[in-house]
Amino acid sequence: MSTPETPPNAGGDDPGRGLSGVQRTGVVLGALAVLLIVFVVLRGGNDDGDSSSSSNAQTTATQSTSTSTATGETGSTSTATSTPTTTSTATSTPAEPAVRTINVVNGQPEGGIKTISYDKGDQVRLKVSSDVADEIHVHGYDLMKDVEKGGSVQFSFTANIEGRFEIELENAGTQIANLEVDPA
Amino acid sequence: MIRRLRIAALGAALASAAVAVLPDAASAHGLVGRQDLPIPRWLFAWGAAVVLVISFVALAVLWPKPRLEEAAEHRVLRVPAFLEPICGVIGVVAFAGMVYAGYAGTQTATANIEPTIIYVLFWIGLPFASAVFGDVFAPFNPWRATARFVSWVAGRVAGDKLPAPMAYPAWLGRWPAAAGILAFAWVELVYVNRDDPSILATLALLYAATQLIGMSVYGIATWTHRADAFAVYFNLFSKLAPLHWRDRTLYRRLLLSGAPHLDVMPGTVALLCTMIGTTSFDGFSQGQLWTGTNAIAPTLQQRFINLGFSQENALEITFTIGLLFMVCFVGGIYRLGIAGMGSIGGRHQPGELAQKFAHSLIPIALAYVVAHYFSLLAYQGQAMASLISDPLGDGSDLFGSAASTIDYNVISATGIWYVQVAALVLGHAAGLTLAHDRALTVYRRVRDATRSQYWMLAVMVGFTSLGLWLLSASAQ
Repeated sequence: MSTPETPPNAGGDDPGRGLSGVQRTGVVLGALAVLLIVFVVLRGGNDDGDSSSSSNAQTTATQSTSTSTATGETGSTSTATSTPTTTSTATSTPAEPAVRTINVVNGQPEGGIKTISYDKGDQVRLKVSSDVADEIHVHGYDLMKDVEKGGSVQFSFTANIEGRFEIELENAGTQIANLEVDPA
Repeated sequence: MIRRLRIAALGAALASAAVAVLPDAASAHGLVGRQDLPIPRWLFAWGAAVVLVISFVALAVLWPKPRLEEAAEHRVLRVPAFLEPICGVIGVVAFAGMVYAGYAGTQTATANIEPTIIYVLFWIGLPFASAVFGDVFAPFNPWRATARFVSWVAGRVAGDKLPAPMAYPAWLGRWPAAAGILAFAWVELVYVNRDDPSILATLALLYAATQLIGMSVYGIATWTHRADAFAVYFNLFSKLAPLHWRDRTLYRRLLLSGAPHLDVMPGTVALLCTMIGTTSFDGFSQGQLWTGTNAIAPTLQQRFINLGFSQENALEITFTIGLLFMVCFVGGIYRLGIAGMGSIGGRHQPGELAQKFAHSLIPIALAYVVAHYFSLLAYQGQAMASLISDPLGDGSDLFGSAASTIDYNVISATGIWYVQVAALVLGHAAGLTLAHDRALTVYRRVRDATRSQYWMLAVMVGFTSLGLWLLSASAQ
C-alpha cells in the first residue's frame, strides 16, 4: 500500500519525493519571490503604458486644473446639480474635456449602448438629448435630472467613484449608456 | 519604494474622496446599475502565471501521504440546548418579515429590503460566512425550524403513532438541490421580474412550502441534508471552514479538512457544476461577446422573436440557453479531466472517479462566488443600513439610519481586482490540494496518484483560466 514507488521520469515530479522540509519551504519561497517580482514589474510597466495609451490622453493636460477646482469645492457632486456649465474656455481651447453627448431617439440610445470612459479625477461633462420626457439617472453617482421631450440636460461632475455604471432613463428603465471610471 | 509610496498616496486620496462623496449621494441605488471594471491585461497575465507556477510547485512539494483526509478536530465549546429554538424563531421571524416586506412594501426593488436580503445577504453573504464560520445557516433555517417545531408538537399530541418517514430514494441524491440552485440562478439571471418584491415573496413561500412537504415525507434531517437547495448549498461551503458545528458543539479543524468528508451521492457533481456554471454565466452575460452588437444574445433573441415570441420571452429563452450551456460547459470540463484520469491505473471507472474528486470543486465554486460577487456584497451590503430602518420604503426611520448611503469608495477598483484574482488563485490552490490528497487514497501507487493529478491539474487550470477570462476579456 504505502511502499514508496520509484518516481516516474516526468520532470516536475522527480525532485518531489526526495525534498526535505527545508527544501520544500525553499521552493515555495523561491516561487513566491519570483511571482512578487513579476507582479511589481508588470504593474510598473502598465503604469507607463496605460497613461499614454489611454483614450483620455488629451484630458491629462487639463487634469491638474480640473482637479484643483474639484478639491477646492470638496463636495464635488454639488456642482452637477447647481451649475450646468462651469467653464467659459470650453469653446476656445481644444484641450478642455469635451462634452460627450448621448442622443435618445424613440426612447432608445442612438447607436446602441455606448461606454463613456474617464479616468478617476477627470471632469465628466455629459449631455443627454432626448425625444422622450423622462428622468436621466447616473447610477453610482446617483445624479438625476429631468429631461423634457425634445430637450436636453447636462451633467458636470468629477469622476471620483471607480467602476462601470449604468446611465438610464429612470422611468422607462432603459439603459442608454455606460459610464466607466478607471483608476487614474 | 516609490511605487509603495504611490499606493499609499492613492489610498489616502481614496479615503479623503470617500469622505467628500459620502454626504452627497442621494438614494440607495446599487442592486443594479454598477459593474466591476474588467481586470487589466497585465493582471490577467500575472494571475495566469501565478496559476501555472502554483501548479508546478504543488507537484514538487505536495505531500506523498494523505494529510487532509484524516485531519483531527478539536473541541472548542458547547452551546446550551435552549439556543436552538431561539435561533429557529429568529430565522422564522426574519423570513416572515422579509416576505411581509415583499408584499406590503414598495415595489421599487432598491427601496424594499426584500430583494437585498435575498440576493445579497442570503445568496452571497451566507456563502462567505459559511466558508469562515461553518454552517451558520442550519440553526436559523426557517423551514427546518418550522418542521422541527411541528414534528415536536405532533409528537406530543400523537405520541409515537406518527408514521415513519419514507425512505429517500438513493438515485435522487442531491438532484433536487441541484435543480433548486439552477432555478434560483434562473430567477436571478434570466427572469425579467427578478427584482419584483411581491413575486420574490411568492417564490420564497413556494420554496418554503416545497421544503415542508419534502421534510414531512422523507424526514427533516434527510431532506435538509440532500434536497433543501440552500441548506445543501451553504453546507457545501462550510466544508472548507476551519470551524465545524456538530451536535451543538463547535470544533476547530485544519482549513479545507472538512471537504474530504463530503458524502458524495448522485447529483452532487451536477450541483457543484451548476454552482460554478451559473456564476460563470453571470460574468459571461455581462460581456461584449454575449451582449454586444451582433453578439450571441441579440442574434438569438432576434431569432426567437422571428419565431413569434414576444421580446421579453425571447430574451428569457436566450438567457436560459446561455445559462444551461455554461452549466454543461463546466460539467464537460470536469468530465473531460475525469475521463483522462480514468485512463490511468486502469482500475477506476470514470463515474466513480467523478464522485471521488467532486469535493475538490467546492473551493473553485467559492472562488467564483467571491470573484463575481464580492463587490456586490461590499457595496449593496451597505444598503442594509438604510433598508433596515426603512424596510418597506415608506419613509419610516426605525433606527435612525434611513438616510445612510452606499459609499462606493470603501474599496477601490484596484482593490476589487486584487480580491478577485486572489480568490481565483487561492481557490485553484485549494482545489489542487484536495484533489492531490484524495488521489493518494484512491490510487494504490504514489506514481499513479501523481500521474492522475496531471489531469486534475488541467481541469483546475481550465476553471481558473475561465474565471480569469470572465473577469477580463468578456467584460470588455
